[in-house]
Amino acid sequence: MGDVFSNLGLGFGVVFQLVQWTPAFLGGVSIPIPVNILLCLIGALVGTLVGVLPGIGTIATVAMLLPITFGLPPVGALIMLAGIYYGAQYGGSTTSILVNIPGEAGSVVTALDGFQMAKKGRAGPALAIAAIGSFFAGCVATVLIAVLGAPLTKLALAFGPAEYFSLMVLGLIFAVVLAKGSVLKAIAMIVFGLLLSMVGSDIETGASRMAFNIPELADGLGFATVAMGLFGFAEIIRNLDSGGEQDRQLVQQKVTGLMPTKKDLLDSTPAILRGTVLGSILGILPGGGAVIASFAAYTLEKKVSKHPQKFGHGVIEGVAAPESANNAAAQTSFIPLLTLGIPPNAVMALMVGAMTIHGIVPGPQVMQKQPDLVWGMIASMWVGNLMLLIINLPLVGIWVRLLRVPYRLMFPSIVVFCAIGIYSVNNAPTDVVLAGVFGLVGYWLIKHDFEPAPLLLGMVLGPLMEENLRRALLISRGDWSVFLTRPLSAVLMAIAAGLLVLAVLPSLRKKRDQVFVESEN
Amino acid sequence: MSDTPSHGPVKSIMPKWVRGPQDFVGGVALIAIALFALWASSDLQGMRGFSFGAGTAPRMFAYLLLGLGVAVMVVGLLTEGTHLAKYHWRGPLFVSLAILSFALMIRPMGLIVTAFSSFLIAALGTPETKWTETIIVAVCLTAFCSLLFPYALGLPLQMLPKFMIR
Repeated sequence: MGDVFSNLGLGFGVVFQLVQWTPAFLGGVSIPIPVNILLCLIGALVGTLVGVLPGIGTIATVAMLLPITFGLPPVGALIMLAGIYYGAQYGGSTTSILVNIPGEAGSVVTALDGFQMAKKGRAGPALAIAAIGSFFAGCVATVLIAVLGAPLTKLALAFGPAEYFSLMVLGLIFAVVLAKGSVLKAIAMIVFGLLLSMVGSDIETGASRMAFNIPELADGLGFATVAMGLFGFAEIIRNLDSGGEQDRQLVQQKVTGLMPTKKDLLDSTPAILRGTVLGSILGILPGGGAVIASFAAYTLEKKVSKHPQKFGHGVIEGVAAPESANNAAAQTSFIPLLTLGIPPNAVMALMVGAMTIHGIVPGPQVMQKQPDLVWGMIASMWVGNLMLLIINLPLVGIWVRLLRVPYRLMFPSIVVFCAIGIYSVNNAPTDVVLAGVFGLVGYWLIKHDFEPAPLLLGMVLGPLMEENLRRALLISRGDWSVFLTRPLSAVLMAIAAGLLVLAVLPSLRKKRDQVFVESEN
Repeated sequence: MSDTPSHGPVKSIMPKWVRGPQDFVGGVALIAIALFALWASSDLQGMRGFSFGAGTAPRMFAYLLLGLGVAVMVVGLLTEGTHLAKYHWRGPLFVSLAILSFALMIRPMGLIVTAFSSFLIAALGTPETKWTETIIVAVCLTAFCSLLFPYALGLPLQMLPKFMIR
């Protein structure tokens, strides 16, 4: 237990670090500046700013803002990214509550009751409860990460290549089973992502693979490029389809009375608690992430409620539970990333991308070699949540005004912004063209009901999987049964196979679809 | 999602025996990608004894994708599914053009000219564009970006066209 506190202490030390700033115009007087806190604050603000735009989800926001963190030192960049992530999520819920356009699947359920509350003139309390619930969930999840971090890292260090490979297979299968839509198509997307990750030079021989002598492809497809194309550009094109000006049922009344009443607080406290627990558990599972957590929390809340018929007509529990679950899961999904180096969902995959750009390979070694980085990030999560609570709520008026910006002006700005962002990563025009191509690919995928998120996950895990597969087979002298004869690996593989079978069984499939259909009735 | 295609009797270019055109076409496309990858990695070395060659993993994933593509296609053939979604040309075309022109112009023309013109090209993507306000916003965004990226974020971007710097 002492470890936990000293680790968290280290983390907060990093976050609150002061840097002496000696500007020339002050004549040698230096001012201490809490740089990392400022970065976290800016990240949260910018994340909300972009996340609040209708039709832009969390993944798209993080992908678009990735380039602005490249110029920073690694610790600062990751802290800022974490801030962006929470800001984006909170922005998404603001949009769901006020406009009924959920930016992403995770906030679909929030829109159900949140928008009804807003219609009744209670947007303020809905937003406040969303923020309070998220903050509480964030606090619990931060402690959970601190407690579980060290033991899981020890476990991870005992893993050999065979175990790692099996674990990644399990993670990918989890991602497929817990995601929405066809299992077969999701697996196809993962494999497509794995295939894309093969472009570039081979790790062992250095041979150029599928690069067609294009110098920009020699190092492989840029991760930020693909993500920005698939999520940024593709989303823009898709939104244009539905006629730009979708009927936005923006709540016209002024948002007044932010404070929830005593009854609101009493009603939502148990919902927040249940949501936090459910979200924390589902977030740790690979592939679980925020989406399933919010759906599950809403369903649970409806089941245990004394008045389930009121759900969907603006009850505060219907906002409190999914929002807390959402945030708890968003945070605990950092656990597999930081301890095992395996991103459990697309946003975490983006985090891996960002870390790799800074030369950090996430995994158990990072936890030991760069503890300031890991614990600084964990502490910054808590700070980020606090920022959201104290800064975003008073700024609600500004976010509402942003929602009134017409799409016809918004989308060209996003296109230009993204283009500059991609270009600035490597100063390579080819990257911009590639992102455009992936934008069209993403548009096509959406039109054919393929989810782009598993593709991104496959792309990030591709090189890791290949490396571990190669090593495992080299050690076993080409014997493929190594994945089944090593006990830990065999267990992981068995769980993966079992999950896959369950997911395809008709009875369970119905149940799984039911959870997602919840949003439609 | 609002643009999920309907099950209604939409006129389809697909023959009748394709019962789920959306999946059928999706599967065919995956097969095409897999075959292309197999061709592209055909010059790479395969297994050398126990150890993987450079081409082993790409080919493995390509064959896997091939199988999955066939499976998706068969599902599209056999089960009643959604029709092909309606494609629009205007949005994709002008957004792509804006991106392409950005890529071509950024080196010779610098950020200011490029950002401004890309904005206007992208704005052609919807019939709702009103030009006066679009131009005003384009000017503001260009100004904002030329302050944000090079100064606030410290990214080395060239501002003015090459011929003006000399």
